[in-house]
Amino acid sequence: MLLASLLVASFVIFAAMYLAPGNPIAALSGGRSLPPDSLRILEQRYHLNEPFLVQYWYWLRNVLHGNLGISITLRENVSTLIASRIWTTAGLVLYASIIILTIGIGLGVLSGLRHGALDTSTLVVTGISAAIPAFVAAIVLILLFAVKLGWFPALGNGTSFLSNVRHLTLPAFALAVSSLAIVARVTRASVREESTREHVQTAVSRGIPTRQVIWRHVLRNAAIPVTTISGITIASLIALAAVVEVAFSLNGLGAYLVGSAQSKDLAVVQGISLVLVTAFVVVNMLVDILYAVLDPRVSLGGRAE
Amino acid sequence: MTGRRNLFGAAAVAVALVLVASACGRSANTSTPTPGSSATAGLVVTSPKGTAPVGSIVWAVYRDVNSLDPIYAFDYPENTADSLMCESLLRQAPDGSIGPGIATLSTPNATTLVFTIKPGVTFWNGNPVTPDDVVYSLERNTDPKWAGFYPQVFNRVQSIEATGSDQVTITLKQPDYWLQGELASIPGIVLEKSFVEQQGKNYGTPAGKIMCTGAYMFQSFKPGVGVTAIANPHYWNPAVHPLVQSILIKGISDVNTFTSGMLTGAVQGAYDFGIPTLDQLKSNSNVKVYTGPGWSTDAFIVDNLKGPLGNVKVRQALSYALDRQGMIDSVYKGAALMPRWQSNPGTFGYGTSVFNAAYNSSPVMNQDMAKAKSLMQEAGASGQTITIGMSSQLVNIAAIAGAYAAAGKAIGLNVKLKSVSAANYINFFIDPKARAGVDGFLTVNYGDYADPASLLATFVLPGGSQNFDGYNNPKITSDLETARSTADPNKRAQLVSDAEKIAAVDLPWIPNLQPTNLLILSKNVTGAVASFAYMFAPWADNLGGTGSS
Repeated sequence: MLLASLLVASFVIFAAMYLAPGNPIAALSGGRSLPPDSLRILEQRYHLNEPFLVQYWYWLRNVLHGNLGISITLRENVSTLIASRIWTTAGLVLYASIIILTIGIGLGVLSGLRHGALDTSTLVVTGISAAIPAFVAAIVLILLFAVKLGWFPALGNGTSFLSNVRHLTLPAFALAVSSLAIVARVTRASVREESTREHVQTAVSRGIPTRQVIWRHVLRNAAIPVTTISGITIASLIALAAVVEVAFSLNGLGAYLVGSAQSKDLAVVQGISLVLVTAFVVVNMLVDILYAVLDPRVSLGGRAE
Repeated sequence: MTGRRNLFGAAAVAVALVLVASACGRSANTSTPTPGSSATAGLVVTSPKGTAPVGSIVWAVYRDVNSLDPIYAFDYPENTADSLMCESLLRQAPDGSIGPGIATLSTPNATTLVFTIKPGVTFWNGNPVTPDDVVYSLERNTDPKWAGFYPQVFNRVQSIEATGSDQVTITLKQPDYWLQGELASIPGIVLEKSFVEQQGKNYGTPAGKIMCTGAYMFQSFKPGVGVTAIANPHYWNPAVHPLVQSILIKGISDVNTFTSGMLTGAVQGAYDFGIPTLDQLKSNSNVKVYTGPGWSTDAFIVDNLKGPLGNVKVRQALSYALDRQGMIDSVYKGAALMPRWQSNPGTFGYGTSVFNAAYNSSPVMNQDMAKAKSLMQEAGASGQTITIGMSSQLVNIAAIAGAYAAAGKAIGLNVKLKSVSAANYINFFIDPKARAGVDGFLTVNYGDYADPASLLATFVLPGGSQNFDGYNNPKITSDLETARSTADPNKRAQLVSDAEKIAAVDLPWIPNLQPTNLLILSKNVTGAVASFAYMFAPWADNLGGTGSS
């Protein structure tokens, strides 16, 4: 399943990059004209003069031998380049996920269980923030917390664990803000729905303590749609991270993917895509496993009925 | 694709609207400088020398550095990093004049250049620079194995030989006074032969190291993080004491991110031009902006002489109809000069008084709608259509394309804009298929050293690297070819001026404006070179603290 996804994705991306106009060698020169001889020699060196399928085959054969190829712009191994950046993106996505899960689900549960001012204000705030794209959130957060208040750095990665956390705080919130709102709203809705179910009403009427009713009957059942939406939003963070990484000048995979696609650095685009597709599939697999834990009726590997 | 692009797109539309609105009715610029006065008066070539030691600073470039090998340095980030750490045989001063670098030059005759390496010049590792190192470094430029970007620079060179214990002799096929400029620029950088050979294909990549002679020495090259250079305590020139402990050259592609970096002190410096947030930076008390001479030209490249623009009167009409002052005000935020020639007056690196006198006698390219309309009438070109290649994602280019559309409309020329993505803009320069059906496109372009001929030659000489339309004016060609072989700087300046004056009327390209070079510094550091010379010669030798932190 994973291998099939990777093979299809790699072929589609390779083909798209091949068809898109542009020339990776020329991207090196920042738009100035290169001597034709230099251009020709460099094209031969990177097999750019070969037909499409031959180029793809070279690439695939290398990957099967564990070699992701060489970046044309940096003349460095793609695996090394990816390894040096993967932790930034992983850290950013993880940080944002923690924010989404704790604050998003927390707010959703609270406003789902309690009517009144908290619920209304949560609805209003999440309604607005769900509509804020990450790049707008980034600008607003930088302006407020970096330029005006000076609490957090405006750009870059840190040098130690703690300074990394500090550097990633604004990016993580920028990345999380709209997903957080969606998760909160879905959580609230499903908590509401579960609280009005017949078996919950029955449990309450049998005198079972409220706390127990909420944990065993409301939250457990509400957890299924919440898991679904959390899984989807977290998986989408992997792709969305690019925008935030550019805005905060972080050395992550997403920003690098954007840059490499622009300079048509094919091996890098392919390498990062493989990593992102893998991460996407893995996250979805984790969500499936979680379903089975939450709901014994779901069996792994079984067909939907 | 990213937030930056969306914002840029929106900003571009806004700027274009401003330009369209201001395209009509602006009065002519009436400044009339006295003959011989400097065309770049009021600009500074350097910021005041730093006096206090500084720890580490972050220096921004518009994208990550790709290579530290000078033979592949062809764009702002690579040039900035190479010129910080490496030195050339000759050296361009901040005012563009060329003098000794790590070697002195004597010319016993017009086809012989003898370089004598200055005594005591050493690489960072303490090894002396030898003639072998010099010969090897220069020949790497033309060795097909390396496929470097500068082989054409050496096309009049017969041989490069070590002719003494501290001497290298270049023999030319015919006199070439442009070569000296190139050897004071990136192609003249001297590397240690044994070190390059030992590094092999890793030289200048993130996996390898480099070996040069400058006041700042290489420490690390980490993709995504940047290039770090540290002060060289054993620099061979005792007159220079590098004051900054370490300089990180970091790629920051988003203008808003760069701006907030400057405002918050996360970034201490950068070179730029035509930056949309200039007013915000200038008005901030943490930031000091210096305006220096630029060597680049913002221009419209005519790439098709078979269409309406093949008629010189149509080119002139379009040029007269342009609201250049509007572009300078709204696109460049004032950081540009009105053009008189194709080349930027910042490039007057020699024969300065000759250049200034000739330049000041040429008219400023002011808007003149009456002339524009009568030229259109004479050409009988009313109602014809031209297509301009642009990218709505590149804010400056989109805005200037908008100004062209407005100018065309005002004189009865239909202007069609052909927009491509920012990533594909490069294809106009390299792919004849991308240029098909396009009459012209926009550029900011520069030569390798301070000489108007350096850029002009690329698009007016037959076979020039940017002569896309086969333009050929025999008088310009002969003036430039003669200039290339003329020893006397004033005579050379006169010939180049003559060529520029013809080109300013014949308009092989249509110059839009002449950007000035912006040096943007945190208020607590100073001393960087402020002119465009930073691209080709060390710019941080005098950089240091202001002492008032």
